[in-house]
Amino acid sequence: VEDSLTNDLFTVPTHYIWRRGFMGAVAGLVGSAALIHIVANTPLSVMCGVVAGTCYSLGFFNRSESLAESVITGSALGIPLWMLLSIIVSPGFAGQPPQWTPHGMQQRLPELVGWMFYGAGMGVTIQLLNRVSPWHIGTDPTSTPPVVDVAKTRIVIVGGGFAGMHTAATLEELFGPDRSVSITLVSDTASLLFTPMLSEVAGGSLEPTHISTPLRTALRRTEIVRSHVNEIQLGESRISVGPKGIDSDDESRTLPYDHLVFALGSQSNHMGVQNIGEKALNFKSLTDAIRIRNQVIESFERADRELDHSARRRLLTFVIAGGGFAGVELAGSLNDFARGIVADYPHIRAQELRIIVVHSRDRILPELSDPLASYAQKCLASRGVTFELNSHVRDVQDGVVILDGGKEISSEMLVWTAGNKPNTLLDPNAVSHDERGCVIVDEMLSVPGHSGVWALGDCAVVVDHRSGQRCPPTAQFAVRQAQTVARNVKAMIEGSALAPFHFDSLGSLCAVGYHTACAELTVPFFKHRVRFSGLFAWLVWRTVYISKLPGRERKLRVIVDWIMETLFPRDIVQTIDLT
Amino acid sequence: VIHKSIARPISLLALGAIAGLFVYPHTAFGPFLGALYGLVFAFFFAERASSPGTGIMWGLGYTFVLWIGVPLGISRFVLHPAQGVNVVDVHFRELVAYTLFLGVPLGLALGVWGSFCRPRPWPSFSFSRPLLVGGAAGVLGGWAFGKWMQQVNHFSLIAGLVHSNSPEIGKLLHFGVAVVIGAVFGVLFDRDLRDYGSTIAWGVAYGMLWWLLGPLTIMPLWLHEPVDWSARKAGGLFGPLIGHIIYGLIVGIVYATLNRIWLHFATEADPINREPEGPATRFLISMRWGATASVGGGLLFSLVMLATGAFPRVARVAGGSLPLEGFVVHMLISAFVGISYGMLFRHEARNYGGAFLWGLLYGFIWWILGPLTLMPVLLGTALTWTPAAAGKALPSLIGHLLYGSATACAFFAFERRCSRWIMLDPRLAARELRRLRPAGTPTPALWVFVLGMGVLLSTLIAM
Repeated sequence: VEDSLTNDLFTVPTHYIWRRGFMGAVAGLVGSAALIHIVANTPLSVMCGVVAGTCYSLGFFNRSESLAESVITGSALGIPLWMLLSIIVSPGFAGQPPQWTPHGMQQRLPELVGWMFYGAGMGVTIQLLNRVSPWHIGTDPTSTPPVVDVAKTRIVIVGGGFAGMHTAATLEELFGPDRSVSITLVSDTASLLFTPMLSEVAGGSLEPTHISTPLRTALRRTEIVRSHVNEIQLGESRISVGPKGIDSDDESRTLPYDHLVFALGSQSNHMGVQNIGEKALNFKSLTDAIRIRNQVIESFERADRELDHSARRRLLTFVIAGGGFAGVELAGSLNDFARGIVADYPHIRAQELRIIVVHSRDRILPELSDPLASYAQKCLASRGVTFELNSHVRDVQDGVVILDGGKEISSEMLVWTAGNKPNTLLDPNAVSHDERGCVIVDEMLSVPGHSGVWALGDCAVVVDHRSGQRCPPTAQFAVRQAQTVARNVKAMIEGSALAPFHFDSLGSLCAVGYHTACAELTVPFFKHRVRFSGLFAWLVWRTVYISKLPGRERKLRVIVDWIMETLFPRDIVQTIDLT
Repeated sequence: VIHKSIARPISLLALGAIAGLFVYPHTAFGPFLGALYGLVFAFFFAERASSPGTGIMWGLGYTFVLWIGVPLGISRFVLHPAQGVNVVDVHFRELVAYTLFLGVPLGLALGVWGSFCRPRPWPSFSFSRPLLVGGAAGVLGGWAFGKWMQQVNHFSLIAGLVHSNSPEIGKLLHFGVAVVIGAVFGVLFDRDLRDYGSTIAWGVAYGMLWWLLGPLTIMPLWLHEPVDWSARKAGGLFGPLIGHIIYGLIVGIVYATLNRIWLHFATEADPINREPEGPATRFLISMRWGATASVGGGLLFSLVMLATGAFPRVARVAGGSLPLEGFVVHMLISAFVGISYGMLFRHEARNYGGAFLWGLLYGFIWWILGPLTLMPVLLGTALTWTPAAAGKALPSLIGHLLYGSATACAFFAFERRCSRWIMLDPRLAARELRRLRPAGTPTPALWVFVLGMGVLLSTLIAM
């Protein structure tokens, strides 16, 4: 199997190539005898014949060919050689234009006979040489590289988000099928969630699995370990993985490493309010998105049969804490979804529905410029979303969300997008962290004081080499950091110089509801960022993110979902019972 | 075993001797030469000709090389004809005779013999599917050929075979013949056909064979006219030659498609048999590789177009007239053809040499399809399957061959690169190998016959 698949010019030992090339040159020279006095420029043609013979021998690894096959194949090769040399090259050497007119080619048809003879002669000779060569110069050396069973370098990546997955993908590209390097990725989920489209899952316009790419199919040679990291022993260069919270020896596994890459991402930060942690819905994972959608449908079902006005109002009020990208996109999707399904519930009126965004600043979307943020706010407001600005969610109790100053919003559902904190498993005594708990790395993205330990993404403090600014915790930065880490890991293994991290942001895109988005993009040759909004920005949003979504199959499925969404009503089937 | 090993060459020798009588009817050495050809064929190809289809294909390739080697070789190397005498022109009659009297019968006989000599149990063969699928493919191929026939009022000529001059009768007859030879294609080649690319090439070879057999031989015989196998007569039948090639091409592609659909729903779609990545993923990857691989080939071809000043004409396809527009259109067409190569020819080549030859063949097919067929249609003119049109398009033939070979080699480089990844998993490697074209199929014969006949006839006939 191996021989058939990999036996080609670029995988065999060099001396094998020389040997095959030499035999081909000899065969080409022998075959060229047929060209003497036949073709117009004999010396040139013989020279080309020798080159063609060499190419033939290297191009056809024809050990399984019979003599007859070789003769016929060689004859076939005479046809392009005739066209190239007799019609184009040879007249060119004589100072004539290519002879590709009917008359010119017909005049040179006899040379075709010579070239096909040449091919046949070359085919015979090379077969004879193939058969004779083992007697005189030994058998062919083995063409397959020796199999390395034990990897010399073990790279372990912790985390299967954008940073982890792209680190593994880049390492695969860099090391190719080199078996001396093993790559292992440890992740809780074994799939990459494409978070920019998560709000569309919550809004029911995309199927949940369509925005998740299985790591096992996306990565070709990385070993995927779907597990939780229980312990990291930096001193002994190993990590212990197993089911979350279980330290049983039976179920845990130790992974030794030479290079450890931390890409654990972040989790929701409930600011120490216990009730929020217990009662609010998060918006980080696929399960969170499914749960939000189900909760909305559940609230509609209950509200439809509820007679009490205040209870109905409470059930039909959905509060989103946080007016950043995640909160605003969720508000837009959820608003469209909720208002879209009102028609299916005869006792609910659209006016009863409230989607409220609570944000701590005086405007939403702090990542974008003022005009765009205000545009987004206006758009959302015109579609029915209301805002509580300069306010914080302080607490949540049964049926009530409490804001600053004790202001109460009667609601059964609070979605928390207001804060994140890094996931970290490294011992704070051994590794430096910032005040939020992010691992501090140097500009090469390695953890100072621990050679072979790297950190990136949301769980690390990454400072841009040129600007000196801290990188934002976004996917586009995580992907570039992953590429830098992978290249630096390779450089360290090979003993070459490491490269510092630098990346200029490409800009930001935020969808704020049906056919509406805001875009702030870095465009080459423009000094300032280009800002635009509306339908065109929405089209750009979809184009950019569909191109970034990993996997052709997923892309296709999402495109089909988008088309279907415009043709049929929103699905109000509750997919799983999470209550 | 001894009996069989002797009987086979002897029977081929006898058949060759009889064929030699027809190839050289007026000379005494004809049967001897034919017998020698038969013996050599049996000796070298007995192991390879395992079915009637493979036998015929080996026979066609073998006799084409024989024709180059013996009649042309002797007159060129031994007799040294005077300058200006075109040996190919002079010996064209023998090409037809070698193909029809030696190649087909010897190949068929060795193939039939080979199919019975295979170790038992023989694989079961159902006639219903090849007949049905081949017949359906024949209808579509006949329809495409019929477009040109209608344009030049060829149906009335066909009707003459049954002593009529009604175009409707001619059309009926044409479709009848198209269905029959489509079904024969299925029966003969079903065992050897694999993916789209090779099936198309098989179809083109089959179409060329039927051009030699049909308009050049059977038709005059049927009409009690003298059979004329001269190059001049062949030149007058250039339209039917292209028609037969298009017919074969469509039969090939339709046969492969229906075959694949059949196989897909019957076997491959079964979740137990379904491959992990699914056919659509493979398809999309092949498309991407094909488009990327076409860039080099497209640029190479553009040099020929630049030299011949063909860009403004190409630009007219998209309503433009500037050379730059023509270049852009050309590169887009290149990408499209590259994508189609990727979709049709994945797993066909086992090495760079094979890829190079498949690419040449595909380039030739696109020369027939492009400048001679689709271009006039896109420019809103009639089909120009004439020697004059072929003469004008000869530089384009060279461009197409350059394009095809460069694209195929680049595509193969992508395939190889992927293979090295696949090597890491023995299960994937075994699956990949199963898809790869096995050694020993008559592809060399296919290459030499299609390319040789195609280039030779196009050059010889062009005006």
